[in-house]
Amino acid sequence: MFSGWNWVAHSLYLFLSICSLKVSGGLVQSCGHIIPESPVLALGSNFTALCILNESCLDFGNIYASQIIWKIKNRVVPKEQYREINRTVSSVTFNDTSSLATPLTCNILADGQIEQNIYGITVTVGLPPEKPKNLSCIVHQLSKITYPMTCTWNPGRHTFLDTHFRLKYRWLQETFPDCIPKDVNNSCTIRDVQFFVNTKVWVEAANALGKAESDPLILDPIEIVKLLPPHNLSVNSGILPTVLKLSWENQISDTAMKLKFNIRYKIMGDTNWMQVPPEDTASTRTSFSVQGLRPYTQYVFSIRCMKEDGVGYWSDWSEEKTGITTEDKPSKGPPIWRIIDVSRSPPSWTVHLMWKALKPFEANGVILQYEVTVRAKSSLSRPPEKYSVNTTDLTLKIPNGTYEVTVVARNRAGASPPSVLLIPASNSKAPVKNVRTLPKDGKLWVGWTPPDSYVLKYVIEWCLVSNSSDCIIEWQTEPGNVQGTYLKGDIKPFKCYLITVYPLYADGQGSGQSVKAYLQQDRPSKGPTVQTKKVGKAEAVLTWNHLTVDEQNGFIRSYTIFYKTIDGNETAVTVDPSKTEYTLSSLASDTLYTVRMMAYTDEGGRSGPDFTFTTQKFGRGEIEAIVVPVCLAFLLIVLLGVLFCFNKRDLIKKHIWPIVPDPSKSNIAQWSPQVPAKHNFSSKDQMYPEGSFTDVSVVEIEADDKKSFSEQDLKPFDLLKKEKSTSEGHSSGIGGSSCMSSPRQSVSDSDEGETTQNTSSTVQYSTVVLNGYRDQTPVQVFSRSESTQPLLDSEERLEDHTGGGDSTTQRQQYFKQNGVQDEINTDRPCFERMKPITSANEGDIVGFAQLQISGQSSQLLGLGLEKNTQEAAVSDALQASTEGQNVVPEIVEGNPPSVDEMPKSYLPQTVRQGGYMPQ
Amino acid sequence: MLNVAGELSGDSWGIFTFLCAALCNLPALPALNCTEELGPGHSIQKTYDLTRYLEHQLRTLAGTYLNYLGPPFNEPDFNPPRLARAERVPSATVDLELWRGLTDNARLAANYRAYSRVLCSLRALDAQGTAELRHRLGHFCSSLQGLVLSIAGVMSSLGYPLPAGPPAQPPAQAGAAATNDFLKKMDDFWLLKELQTWLWRSAKDFNRLKKKVPPAVVTLRMEARGF
Repeated sequence: MFSGWNWVAHSLYLFLSICSLKVSGGLVQSCGHIIPESPVLALGSNFTALCILNESCLDFGNIYASQIIWKIKNRVVPKEQYREINRTVSSVTFNDTSSLATPLTCNILADGQIEQNIYGITVTVGLPPEKPKNLSCIVHQLSKITYPMTCTWNPGRHTFLDTHFRLKYRWLQETFPDCIPKDVNNSCTIRDVQFFVNTKVWVEAANALGKAESDPLILDPIEIVKLLPPHNLSVNSGILPTVLKLSWENQISDTAMKLKFNIRYKIMGDTNWMQVPPEDTASTRTSFSVQGLRPYTQYVFSIRCMKEDGVGYWSDWSEEKTGITTEDKPSKGPPIWRIIDVSRSPPSWTVHLMWKALKPFEANGVILQYEVTVRAKSSLSRPPEKYSVNTTDLTLKIPNGTYEVTVVARNRAGASPPSVLLIPASNSKAPVKNVRTLPKDGKLWVGWTPPDSYVLKYVIEWCLVSNSSDCIIEWQTEPGNVQGTYLKGDIKPFKCYLITVYPLYADGQGSGQSVKAYLQQDRPSKGPTVQTKKVGKAEAVLTWNHLTVDEQNGFIRSYTIFYKTIDGNETAVTVDPSKTEYTLSSLASDTLYTVRMMAYTDEGGRSGPDFTFTTQKFGRGEIEAIVVPVCLAFLLIVLLGVLFCFNKRDLIKKHIWPIVPDPSKSNIAQWSPQVPAKHNFSSKDQMYPEGSFTDVSVVEIEADDKKSFSEQDLKPFDLLKKEKSTSEGHSSGIGGSSCMSSPRQSVSDSDEGETTQNTSSTVQYSTVVLNGYRDQTPVQVFSRSESTQPLLDSEERLEDHTGGGDSTTQRQQYFKQNGVQDEINTDRPCFERMKPITSANEGDIVGFAQLQISGQSSQLLGLGLEKNTQEAAVSDALQASTEGQNVVPEIVEGNPPSVDEMPKSYLPQTVRQGGYMPQ
Repeated sequence: MLNVAGELSGDSWGIFTFLCAALCNLPALPALNCTEELGPGHSIQKTYDLTRYLEHQLRTLAGTYLNYLGPPFNEPDFNPPRLARAERVPSATVDLELWRGLTDNARLAANYRAYSRVLCSLRALDAQGTAELRHRLGHFCSSLQGLVLSIAGVMSSLGYPLPAGPPAQPPAQAGAAATNDFLKKMDDFWLLKELQTWLWRSAKDFNRLKKKVPPAVVTLRMEARGF
């Protein structure tokens, strides 16, 4: 505790004592101070500082030098660097000032605990100035009387301190004020200097650490002058066209300085300057004539000067001035060439003479006109024709022949030497060989192999090949000793040029050799548009047009056709560039193909638009191969069918449209007596209109008393004569029976044999019920039998039996049965009614009748003879055919008493008739 | 110093040494020439050039200044009688034969004195004119001071003692100058005219002196520049 109080009291005392010191002194008075005060130190040197404590402080606070602590900024300097010199003085030593910083403070540790600052100094560390080096001066002329001198030097290393430079100068016995640089430390300008007096110049650099002086420079300012360039330069053309006279003003008196000059000049627009030999302008002057210039050329001049003896500096170049030399005669004739259009009738030439305007250095002035002389070689007597033109071409219409054309260019100063072109009648001389081109350095080089004989010169013609414009010929001439040249013209890349080389000889010219060339090739600007010309099943013929020259951009080296199906891989085919058609083969049928085409130059290809097509389903001729045989087969079948039908027409007819006999045409009808028949006919017609008998064969049997037997006797013979009549007779026989039992079966024939009515092959049986005769109401009842078969069968059987012996009995029975009816049906109406039908059916029954003839005729005939003799009256009444005749006796013999009963039991009878089969 | 020492040795070995030393020192000569004061020939030439240059400058300056003074001083044929009172400028109108008869030293000293006095008068000129005139005048004065120093240099290089410092402004002249504006202008006119004559004569003097002193040192210097 005591020590603590002691410490507090002590420090309080110290504080108070410091304060009292301050107050007593009236100024800030500390307990000590540091020596040196605010030093400026050289970097890298060693430095020792002393902190000296005031005696007064020692008394107050028991402060001693041993308690001193040195600090740089806030960093304590290591104790090793301290040294206690005595009670009140402590020193600190730094071996290298570079470790120093501001502030350096002297502190004291009161009672070993409270650190109290005693004093502090600022330390500045830097370098002494170096000796300025490389001092050099130059006097710039600003006007005729103003010559400031600027001196520059190398100030040396950075000193980290405020360093002042002074440029000092003096004469031998005269000192001038120093030149103090502004804002810089390496140059200074003395406003005015005097020539011809030696001046000593040096630089002094000074800072807190020292002072350094440069080596002095002793100079006469006149020897370091950079003058203003000569001014008011003017250029005047002299008498000679190759001379221009320059004049100017110097900006310094020749008493002050003798001068020498440099004169440079160039052609207007050129970049390279030429210089007048310096030795020609090595003395003071204000004018000079430049010689060896080109006539009528604009030149640019510029001049500079310096001290004659070469001491000092060249001035800047003066402003540029231009001048034009006067005109001179053109130095050469214009190059000339021609294009000849030949017309056949009358044989003449249209010669387009062309010549090139002379280049400025050849024209030597403004060309006023060209004088063209055309001299015909063939007819020397003809005077040469002369033309004066302003343009560079002339078109002449002249007869074929050899001509010599001379062109002279004329300007104000005179005429050029003539240039001559020989136009021979034909280009019969040797041509050049092996014309080739090569793009080189952005230009097109043309080379050729010269002919053996001496060539005067070559003419190279070229033109741009294009669709849009005509071939506008450009040309140039080359001397005869060259074998290649660059085309002197605006050769564009990607354009096709046609280049032709003509050799010109002293006595003629060779024909031109051409070659096409590109300066630079590119891909075609578009691809060919491909189309199909023909599409087949497995192949397609593609066609395209060649690209135009403008689209090609180069030589087309090949075409490639790409084709693919929608989901298939693309197939490529390379095609020769000369082709415009190609056939794709091995394609799939009925498939959509996409095809496109690329045209390739050396630089690459470009594709044309896609084109799609679908291959056909069938190949060519395939349909024909199918259709034609099918048609042929069909035709054949039809033909065969027709033939068959023709052959089998009877059968068909029988089945499809059997002939229904027309009773009206029946022979029987013809035999009938006219009067009653007519009467009956009319009545019968009324009663039976034709349409109602389609399927029914009706045989009307009209009993005619007047019919003589003899006629009946003759009938069979008639029948025998004619097939038809026999069948008629036969059928009528049947018909006779059918008239009573089955009219359907009865068939009547006529001589004409026409089929007037057909019925279905199955002849329906019907029963004709005859009621009263004439006066009786003609009520007829048809009972159509549904079954036809029995009768047919019986008939067929009957026919069969005719061959055999036992059938006769049955037949007789049959006839007997019918005979009963016959008697009943002897009425005329029966006959008359049948008549029209039978007549219609005549002839249709031929086949049927024939069948019956063979078996029955003889039998019936014999039978008929018997009847005739026995029952003449009855047979008369019947007036039937042989069959009828046969029927009649049977009827007579058979069932005479049943006549009355029959009509009543008519239907049952038919049933019975149907049921005759059991008989 | 070394070659001089060789010369002093006298014997053949000494001569050889001298030659070797001379050869060895030849490359060092240019530096020597550049730093050291050049020979009298060179300074005479320079003084001559400066005189000519001042002559040329004065022509322009006089024209400008006389124009500034106005008529009749700027008239070409204005030729007033010289007032005897104006002893402010030493007259150059000494008989030519008499002048030629003087020694170089005397002539140089006379030039030196004359220009020193003229310079003082020039500096006192009332140059209220244009800035160009003042500039020209200032430049001319500086150059004339250079001439004075050059003459002093020539004299010292030729071994002549410099004349005693130019007498301070004679009080009589100073008093007489400002009395009359016209007279003052007349003084200025004559100052320029006398100066012109002095410069013209000085140029002749230095030309003659230049011929008298061989320009060996000058040629050596030129060769040395070639190294």
